[in-house]
Amino acid sequence: MPGSSSKSGGRGPSSSPLPHAVVSPSRPLRPSRYVPVAAATFFLVGSTTLFFCFTCPWLSEQFSVAVPIYNGVIFLFVLANFCMATFMDPGIFPRADEDEDKEDDFRAPLYKTVEIRGIQVRMKWCSTCRFYRPPRCSHCSVCDNCVEEFDHHCPWVNNCIGRRNYRYFFLFLLSLTAHIMAVFGFGLLFILCQRQNINHLHAIVTLAVMCVAGLFLIPVAGLTGFHVVLVARGRTTNEQVTGKFRGGVNPFTNGCWRNVSHVLCSSQAPRYLGRKKCVQNVSVQPPFLRLQLTEAQLAAKILDNGIQGDLHRSKSSLEMMESQSCDAEPPPPPKPELRYPGIGQRNAEECSLLGKAPPTPTMYKYRPTYSPGKNHTTLTHAYANQLSRGESVGSARDSSSSTSSLLQASQQPGFRSQPSLDRRDAVSDRAVGGGERREAGREAGGGGGIPGYTLGGRSYPSFSDPTVLSAVASRSSSLAGAAHVSEATTASTSFKSLANQTPPPHHPSRNGSLSYDSLLAGEDFDKAAAPEPPAGRLCTPATGGYGSPFLSQQRDADLPSQSSQSPHHHHRSSHHHHPFLHRSSSSSSSPPPPPERDRLLGDPHTAPAANSSAPLPPHHHHHHHHHHSHHHHHHSSSTSSSSSRPPRFAAPHHAYPYRTRSTDVPLGSGGASARSPLSAHPPPLGKSLSYSSAAAAEMQYRLVRKASASAGANAAGVGGGGEGGGMGGAIQAPKFPR
Amino acid sequence: FHNLQELRHSASLANKVFIQRDYSEGTTCKFQTKFPSELESRIELTLFEETVKTLNNFYAEAEKIGGQSYLEGCLACATAYLIFLCMETRYEKQVLKKIAKYIQEQNEKIYAPRGLLITDPIERGMRVIEISIYEDRGSSGSSSGSSSVSGSTAR
Repeated sequence: MPGSSSKSGGRGPSSSPLPHAVVSPSRPLRPSRYVPVAAATFFLVGSTTLFFCFTCPWLSEQFSVAVPIYNGVIFLFVLANFCMATFMDPGIFPRADEDEDKEDDFRAPLYKTVEIRGIQVRMKWCSTCRFYRPPRCSHCSVCDNCVEEFDHHCPWVNNCIGRRNYRYFFLFLLSLTAHIMAVFGFGLLFILCQRQNINHLHAIVTLAVMCVAGLFLIPVAGLTGFHVVLVARGRTTNEQVTGKFRGGVNPFTNGCWRNVSHVLCSSQAPRYLGRKKCVQNVSVQPPFLRLQLTEAQLAAKILDNGIQGDLHRSKSSLEMMESQSCDAEPPPPPKPELRYPGIGQRNAEECSLLGKAPPTPTMYKYRPTYSPGKNHTTLTHAYANQLSRGESVGSARDSSSSTSSLLQASQQPGFRSQPSLDRRDAVSDRAVGGGERREAGREAGGGGGIPGYTLGGRSYPSFSDPTVLSAVASRSSSLAGAAHVSEATTASTSFKSLANQTPPPHHPSRNGSLSYDSLLAGEDFDKAAAPEPPAGRLCTPATGGYGSPFLSQQRDADLPSQSSQSPHHHHRSSHHHHPFLHRSSSSSSSPPPPPERDRLLGDPHTAPAANSSAPLPPHHHHHHHHHHSHHHHHHSSSTSSSSSRPPRFAAPHHAYPYRTRSTDVPLGSGGASARSPLSAHPPPLGKSLSYSSAAAAEMQYRLVRKASASAGANAAGVGGGGEGGGMGGAIQAPKFPR
Repeated sequence: FHNLQELRHSASLANKVFIQRDYSEGTTCKFQTKFPSELESRIELTLFEETVKTLNNFYAEAEKIGGQSYLEGCLACATAYLIFLCMETRYEKQVLKKIAKYIQEQNEKIYAPRGLLITDPIERGMRVIEISIYEDRGSSGSSSGSSSVSGSTAR
């Protein structure tokens, strides 16, 4: 039978081999997968054989020879379609080469929207296959492949049903229904005619076959009817079951007749796997013809936003591809250099130090294994260039306002309160005076911010929390000098990078602990590396970029009870954000706030705590505890905090970035498209919003603490100390004021 | 074994541009004709557009539901799909043969002289058209095509 077996996953015999270690375990032999198909085969073949042997001879004599012929033809049809449905490649996409997805990483959104006939359709990033899934494509968790026009995974044929073999599956169902009805009907005829010989073997066997047939008739007929409706409506099972077009318009339908003819009459689609590579015998030899840029083109280049201008300079494939690979969106804003693996030399020590951080190593393990090599260095520069040019899509306004403040601050290193207040008013309530100062210092001492930038990048990816990542990234980007990462993008979506990171096989709580720990660690790093990040700016991207409504609610809640002292306010608001995350898991553990907290925060915290809802105070304490606690405290409480961490609100969203492969469990589970129901309610925007704002707030708080704690502390010193240990930052901070 | 190994003797892979699919008309295979900025200095817009449009036409023709595809389906049904062992499907004929030939020809005539190379999208699951951009070895200097080169050489 044509059609290669597709069960070996997206790495067929000659499919695109992936040099880097795609973390794909060798498929374990799972005999349970073969039980349904074996049973189906057994019943089908066995019952039909018995029918032909016991029932048909008499019937053919009695009535006509057409009976067995008819049944034979139908049975042959059933078998042929069954085999095709079983063995034919459903349309598996080969894994993308690593150079294709360079631009789609870490900071790239989890979803890309594309417009199909006027309807917005979301394409999700598949972390296993490393590309944005085309519309109607879905990832089958059983087969571990992305399948084109994924219908469902059929256990009875032990294969995915997709674009290429849907027709055979459909015909299989039709023919099987006909076959069962024929067997049942002719068996009934036999029995009715042979009532007197009912206790003969033939009759008994016929009765047994009739029972089996009758048993299978109902579900098979039901399924057939279901698929007839699907075909007529131009939907896949996946779309129907996940309710994608419920109450909406299906952009993939062309009308009933066209849909049917598309299923039945279209030409067999080619398979993508297992093709022999055609070797192009074209030699690309210099000298190359070059175009002379016209005046207009040159002018356009000058006027452009700088992305193209950098291309020739940096030759970073990452950067170039980034501007290229958008489907229907504007080019993504420049991404900060978050590719921790080897971002510049400066990372070496920081990386090693970071590596010691207990929470991060586990996450590091899951990082994509390709090494950025030179690319990332150049990318860093490129991004730095871009960033310095103030390029930002999502948070342009924020960045502009922050930039000005930042510039102000940087020009006045000792300047403390004014910009923060301004910024607070302008953007968010989380501006922090100390942070402002720190930011200025960081700006000065950060050498363009790249070191701290990359340092942040180093630690950030260890976060399993996309919003943390974004918040941190935004901070680091602000360090680098004015441009933010597109928080809008990141806010509205989770990160592919996080999706790419296989979550630890533990619980979400573990994720939470990791993210939390790494959050702390990252924050420490951040503080350490650049002790004066723009707190206000940090708030800005996180809050402003993400969209105010959610955060403003928080802020509004905070405002009334908040004292005017900005650090506290900031701290409070940050904590309020965190409770949002913690709300789902009302952790009752509230370690006693360390004295530092009291010293720093004083009364205002108690006031807001009192005002806050019940879950808040414990979380406050949690938060405080974590913030202020030493390393060991951090550890001990991390578990408790982590248990409380997985926020209800973000929990489903948590699932987004944490899934390396969408759970495309077929038929009823609604794999990746299960996301769509989730998107119905306040979209990921809100979820990541809370997360990022909380994370950002938390980080800001720590920065504030650091700033206030280490009044005038040397940025470098802090950085060195902070880098000294993953969680050392927590220790460092309290030490400073002493 | 991709001929990039040979290419590297004379030119080095500098970059790859990916032309994405145009889904505005559904899931029919169609690629965007938007001119990527990286190619601005390498090839004329018209040439590029013509290449992509021709490819789109090929794919549209392959996916057309008409008499021939219907007959092919009936024949396959009648022979219990054994015909697929002997015969190539219409789509395959179109996609494999025509398009591969066309791309080869385009590469030879137009793209290779400009230091570009088009990869058949079928190798990427028809999701993107990959255009590799080469630089003169001497001028590329510290071109950082290492990762992408490793990716492509690994293929």
